[in-house]
Amino acid sequence: MIQLADVSYAYPDSGRFVLEHVDLRIEPGTITGVVGASGAGKTTLAKILSGFIPHVDGGQLSGSVVIGGRDLSGLPLAACVSQVGLVIQNPFNQISGARYTVRGELAFGMENLGTPRDEMASRVAEVAGLLRITDLLDRSPYELSGGQQQLVAIASMLVLRTPVLVMDEPTSQLDPVGTRMVFGVLSRLRGAGTTIVVFEHKPELLHAHADRLHVLAGRRIAASGSPGEILSDPRTDQWGVSATRYTRAARLAREQGLVPAEAPLPVSFEQAAAFFGWSARTRPPSPEDAR
Amino acid sequence: MSDQAPLDTRRSRNRLLVAAGAVIVVATYAYLVVAQPAGMADSGTTRAGLIAMAGYVIGAVLIAAGSIHQLPTTTIAMIPVAIAVNIVVGQLVAVLGLPVYLDSIGTVLVSVLAGPAAGVVTGILANVIWGLTLNPIPLPFAVVQVVIAVLAGTAARIGVFRRVYLPPVAGLVTGVAAAVVSAPISAFVFGGATGGGTGAIVGAFQAMGQSLLASTTLQGLLSDPLDKLITFTVVGILLAALPSRFLQRFPFAREHRVVTTAPLAPPPSPSE
Amino acid sequence: MTRAQFVGTGSPVHRLNPVTKLVALLSILVIVFALPQWWVSAIVVVGVLLPAAVIARCGGPLIAVGGRILLPIVVVLVLVQGLTFPGGRTMVWQWGVLSVTAEGLLFALNVGARIVCLVLASVLLVLTTHPGDLMSALTEAGMSPKFSYIISSTLQLIPAFRSRADAILLAQQARGLAVPRNPLRRIGVMMPLLGPLVLGMFTDVEERGTAMEARGFGSTARRTALEAIPDSTAQRVARWVMPLVAVAAVVVPLVWEVL
Repeated sequence: MIQLADVSYAYPDSGRFVLEHVDLRIEPGTITGVVGASGAGKTTLAKILSGFIPHVDGGQLSGSVVIGGRDLSGLPLAACVSQVGLVIQNPFNQISGARYTVRGELAFGMENLGTPRDEMASRVAEVAGLLRITDLLDRSPYELSGGQQQLVAIASMLVLRTPVLVMDEPTSQLDPVGTRMVFGVLSRLRGAGTTIVVFEHKPELLHAHADRLHVLAGRRIAASGSPGEILSDPRTDQWGVSATRYTRAARLAREQGLVPAEAPLPVSFEQAAAFFGWSARTRPPSPEDAR
Repeated sequence: MSDQAPLDTRRSRNRLLVAAGAVIVVATYAYLVVAQPAGMADSGTTRAGLIAMAGYVIGAVLIAAGSIHQLPTTTIAMIPVAIAVNIVVGQLVAVLGLPVYLDSIGTVLVSVLAGPAAGVVTGILANVIWGLTLNPIPLPFAVVQVVIAVLAGTAARIGVFRRVYLPPVAGLVTGVAAAVVSAPISAFVFGGATGGGTGAIVGAFQAMGQSLLASTTLQGLLSDPLDKLITFTVVGILLAALPSRFLQRFPFAREHRVVTTAPLAPPPSPSE
Repeated sequence: MTRAQFVGTGSPVHRLNPVTKLVALLSILVIVFALPQWWVSAIVVVGVLLPAAVIARCGGPLIAVGGRILLPIVVVLVLVQGLTFPGGRTMVWQWGVLSVTAEGLLFALNVGARIVCLVLASVLLVLTTHPGDLMSALTEAGMSPKFSYIISSTLQLIPAFRSRADAILLAQQARGLAVPRNPLRRIGVMMPLLGPLVLGMFTDVEERGTAMEARGFGSTARRTALEAIPDSTAQRVARWVMPLVAVAAVVVPLVWEVL
């Protein structure tokens, strides 16, 4: 379990807090989404959850960050990174460049931690298969497209098998197919007991895969709830959180008085169908029906 | 490896490596200059080349090994960027046909931001990279980069980069030191011929009756001070352009107030 | 040309343990500098380096790369020292104020042979050894993984950096920016070009450091390697014998002089 209690943080010499009084509780074996406008402190929160704040970035951190019963501020960074894997935002910077092939790049973290050779090879093969990058293994990580690099960056953390995975916009460079595949893999990992915290703003995917969402706005957690509750909340615009296309359509319909004002807004297609009263029976006639 | 040793032993081992390397380099220079080995004058068959090469290379390796262990990961991550700056800018300048090298901008920048130890590693490995990619000729000169890094780091520590007009002066001084230190390698390993233009200048000094070592020293004094003056000035300008949050990331730059004398922002207190 | 010049032909020289090749290079350098007569270097080049290059099927690249580096140096060396060597007495050839001395030419020959040896041996190592393998082998032999990281990462960063530099240069030229003839003004033109280039690279550093730490780069665990490095008993023996020969090349002449 991850528990943040009254966490406030200011970068060194900045004179101003980026996060204030953040309370957050994340259950083990779940996928938790954190959403919010850019600049709301998502990257900062990701670094706090993974121990890089305050170990590397310094600055002024107050409150407590407890992961698996241990306070991160009392652990050395090496112990933090063995608990929490961090996938950073820009895959180009996640690639270490220390190895000349994708295979070597995936093994880099395990080499640093002293994983036995056979074990490394089998984990590389397994994760590459999961993320469908097996055919890239012998290529240079710098010759890949942004999307491929992002998959390599994610894979390079998955091979470490940390019990907690924090991912800062892990699908920013991916096409819709790649994005769905990554979330499918995350769901499998959750099934195997991994705790996943994902900073992401694609509402359809969060609704389909996340167990819980937290909204970061105004330097604190402005709201928490199920994806359905958060994504259909009237304050999404104000938070800088994008709603799904169904919610947006329903909201427009409501503004124009096409639907009753009190009906809860839909988030998924199924909910939208019910909301708008679509069913096989209400299907508009098509030219084929006339024949 | 020995990374598991207790912190104190590691620290003193690192200091020992750096000190031993420095002593070897100084002793090598002193021997070559003071004891001007005989025989060089007639056929170039003395061991001066061996001594110059061995002394400088072993010294550089020891200093690099002692320095790298002190560096945190953020600094290590910066060094490849700095070396790439050294090499790409150096090549660009060569292509544009400028009369200077400007191949140590990265080294100086790292020394100023992260301290002389980081600069030393940057400079030495930049020469190793030259050797691995383009040309092994700069390899024996690696120790010159140590001098540049140490002087640049010291200049930063005493506040040279807080004033616009001081970096050129520090560059000038560094250039003189670099010229002096590199002269024995140019003379005894390369016979004064490290490149076309420089070789001709060495020849001109020899024709005026100077010894080989004196000629390579004078040749260095003609080009290095100007080169380092421009390098330090460029670094001063870059520092002014870097975002202050980035500069704050480096404990060395923060601790020694390398760029500004402005007081720290007061630590904030959470609202409510 | 800023990529490592590795030419992978898969020859027996390529398949040697990189540390064996590095020890051979260092031993050769010590030998030719310890025995500074030109014919020692000539024997090494003809007897060791060229046959090794032939076995490695790298003869062509070795001559091309080595020649490009050596030609200007050797020409300058012969001209400058032939004409202006301070110890020159025996006139070989004279034309007006210019005079070539035998001592100068001998000096150029002795120094030049060593430089040829130094350059060819280093280039041969680089041509036959992938930098990644060299770094893994050295790390396994006890070098700090930090060195290995910096070298490998730089080698891959330079092409990326160069393409950014080229893009900026092209953009400047497209804006009709001419390169002035005055060197000082040229430096002035360079500044706006260098600024964004260098700054952009440095602002990425923070994230790169974070990503490395996240993958245990700061770990004190004993590191392992994905790829095994080829080695043999013969090579292990050679790695002891070659330095001993080099030491002998230093010590024997000294003893000789004393006796």
